[in-house]
Amino acid sequence: MKKFLLSALLSAPLWVLGQGFQVNLQGQKQIGMAGAGSALPLDEASVFYNPGAVTFLEKNSVSAGVNPLLFKSAFKQSGSNITENVKNKIAPPFEAYAVWGPKSNKWKLGLGVYTPFGGLVDWGDNWSGKYALTSLNLKAIYFQPTLSIKITDRIGIGAGFVYNHGDVNLQRALPVNYPDGRSGHATLEGTGSGYGWNAGLYIKTLSNITFAVVHKSKVVTKLNDGTATFDVPESLRSAFPAGNTFNAELPLPSTTTLGIGVPLSKSTTLAFDASWVQWHVYQNLTFDYAINTPQLTDKPSERNYHDGSSFKLGINHQASEKLALRAGLGYAFSPVQDGYVTPEAPDADRYILSAGLGYTPTRHFEVNASFFFEDVKSRKQKNIETGLDGTFKTLVYAPGISLTYKW
Amino acid sequence: MKKYILNSFVAAAILFTAACKPEIETPAGTTAGQANFSKYIAVGNSLTSGFADGGLYLEGQKVAYPNLIAAKMASVGGGAFTSPFFSEEHSNGSGYISLTALVNGTPTLTPIIDKLAFRDPAKHLDKYSGEIQNLGIPGMRVDLSFDPTLTFSAANPYFERLLTDAQVGKTNYFQYIQGRNHTFFSLWLGNNDVLGYALNGAVTVTGDPTTVLTDKVTFSSLYANFLNALTAGGQKGIVATIPDVTAVPYFNTVTVAALLNAAKAINPAAAAIYIQTGTGAVRPATADDLIRLPFQSAGLFGQGAIPYGLHPLNPIENKWVLDKDEVVKVKDYVNSYNSSIKSLATSKGLAIADTYAYFNQVKTGINVQGVGINASFITGGAFSLDGIHLTPRGNAAIANLFIDAINAKYGSTVPNIDITQYRGVKFPDAK
Repeated sequence: MKKFLLSALLSAPLWVLGQGFQVNLQGQKQIGMAGAGSALPLDEASVFYNPGAVTFLEKNSVSAGVNPLLFKSAFKQSGSNITENVKNKIAPPFEAYAVWGPKSNKWKLGLGVYTPFGGLVDWGDNWSGKYALTSLNLKAIYFQPTLSIKITDRIGIGAGFVYNHGDVNLQRALPVNYPDGRSGHATLEGTGSGYGWNAGLYIKTLSNITFAVVHKSKVVTKLNDGTATFDVPESLRSAFPAGNTFNAELPLPSTTTLGIGVPLSKSTTLAFDASWVQWHVYQNLTFDYAINTPQLTDKPSERNYHDGSSFKLGINHQASEKLALRAGLGYAFSPVQDGYVTPEAPDADRYILSAGLGYTPTRHFEVNASFFFEDVKSRKQKNIETGLDGTFKTLVYAPGISLTYKW
Repeated sequence: MKKYILNSFVAAAILFTAACKPEIETPAGTTAGQANFSKYIAVGNSLTSGFADGGLYLEGQKVAYPNLIAAKMASVGGGAFTSPFFSEEHSNGSGYISLTALVNGTPTLTPIIDKLAFRDPAKHLDKYSGEIQNLGIPGMRVDLSFDPTLTFSAANPYFERLLTDAQVGKTNYFQYIQGRNHTFFSLWLGNNDVLGYALNGAVTVTGDPTTVLTDKVTFSSLYANFLNALTAGGQKGIVATIPDVTAVPYFNTVTVAALLNAAKAINPAAAAIYIQTGTGAVRPATADDLIRLPFQSAGLFGQGAIPYGLHPLNPIENKWVLDKDEVVKVKDYVNSYNSSIKSLATSKGLAIADTYAYFNQVKTGINVQGVGINASFITGGAFSLDGIHLTPRGNAAIANLFIDAINAKYGSTVPNIDITQYRGVKFPDAK
């Protein structure tokens, strides 16, 4: 008589990490140009944008910057007249670089610490998609030591090793109710690491038009012994054991970029980057729980990402000896197929607009600021797995500033 | 100086972004289309009244599907919607059952007996006077709506409480619902015309009109009377089909296989479950024979010198079983009623909420806005602890089915209900 209950509790499987988590904020000058600039040896951020261009930097330098990012997403259930918004939370993507090499030598060393992937979305505990997700805080911090070598006066190559430190905290409501009517809650929290590499080629033609080919490898980040906490009525405790842990893998995709730099005049340069982001590595997300129950299985949650791509055009204008002005625009194609859009990263194709300025008060110091805006297109979706059905619309705002010391 | 410029640049940027929210434009909540929702009345039975967990009580009344629909109609010209709520002091109404323990999947169901609304020892319920638009009455049937003896108005306590003393025993439901100046109506009635029979294991009790099967032709002609009366002033409205009674947990929880497994756990030699069918024959049960939910807690199974249900000489009695021939018969009646409902509604140009199709989907399981709902007892989320009536979550799902059908038919944009705001079964928070 016992088994025929509880046999089908929670038919929506535990559900999770999404997606278009790429954060394109790695250097204030490039951000001001919509993220283009792999073919320009602009500054120490080339450690990220193109290790092959690092050796063409004239000076040694260190810099640090931050881009407080406001991810403003809204959701409206299909047929509803209520729009729900994520809470205003500011994610802090940051970047720090150092480049050093003996003057007039053919090589330079670089170090980059930056946050190429991440997400901070908090929809609140009682929004209409709470059983899919209430909040996600994902951080990936890459550490990248780099060597860049000048092969000829016009060709440079470079490569770096990438170590990723990842943090994830994901929460959702569970559709089981306490005696007072409130829902259960699941919190998955873990830390992981992964490895990869970053390599680039920089070519300066005789006409001074520059080309770049850059590949950043995938970084499979493994989370081991994360904690899985389930707040459920005690009568369901055996289905959601206390003290459970999980292992999971989050594959962060590789990116291949082709870049062109075109000097329009002595003071003005145009940069164009086309990137191919190989998101197809993200086929599913699986939480491997230490303790399984019929309600808590290791069933993969399908993602089935396609590859994504982006096209970015930026301009850098040296208005005076001390002041530089920048602007950019871009367009990115989402890797998320219809039916797989989630509230973690309600992804869609997006427009990018940016502006920036740089100020060099002395020979040694430089300040750069940028403003980055993304308009993620409105997307009406019904998720195949959860049945979450509605329209997402997202705007991203990220002002940023960095300080550089050069010698 | 330049730093100030940069700082104010950043500050201005942050202020700007805080102001710029993304907008999503949709037509929901903008028009009533060809319908007029200013006075909506809901005609029906226990499902319409908000009956749940084996009783009618205030929490269930508040989330009855017509109440949820009416709240959403407000944005497109809907007026007030009044219901015969029990008072806060007597909020537990008729009483109901709650889940007080769940051990290895076996539930303990305990009656709630405080804050009841009985006004006398004969268990008459507190009277409600005043305007009523949720006219759902637990136990109401299409045939008994036309009760020529007018006695059902006294016999049914949920009906009796809505009537003045002068009306009790002097009216029937069909008369009662008329003359209410409605502009829009819903009609979900007929379930009990077959369910009353099925819930008694397809045994009609002599002298109990709630256990008979309503004749198919009679059903059709009486249903037509309802539609004629409700559309007499040209009103628009919606009707609903009757769910397959075998799609509810009441008939799908205590399965023959589960009983046999339980028997084998005690005596591995147990080979079959024996039932007495509607014809009086005794035979081994098959997966096509459905056993009623209350058998689980009846304390009969395996008892006695000849173990109950495990031997042909002591089979599970007919009243506990909807045997496979009875299932076929019940399904046939449901299909017949539904084809009458659909053709009558179509001829009147009314919207149709096909709850028959919807509950068949729920039976296999659906995901709605991140909530998995299915027809499992207790854990399925849609059905309350009586295995027949809906949880608040189930009511929200059904209300959306009605709203979608109304909008599709009349070009209105009544907003949908956020199902995630409504609970399933309450689980005890102790081991």
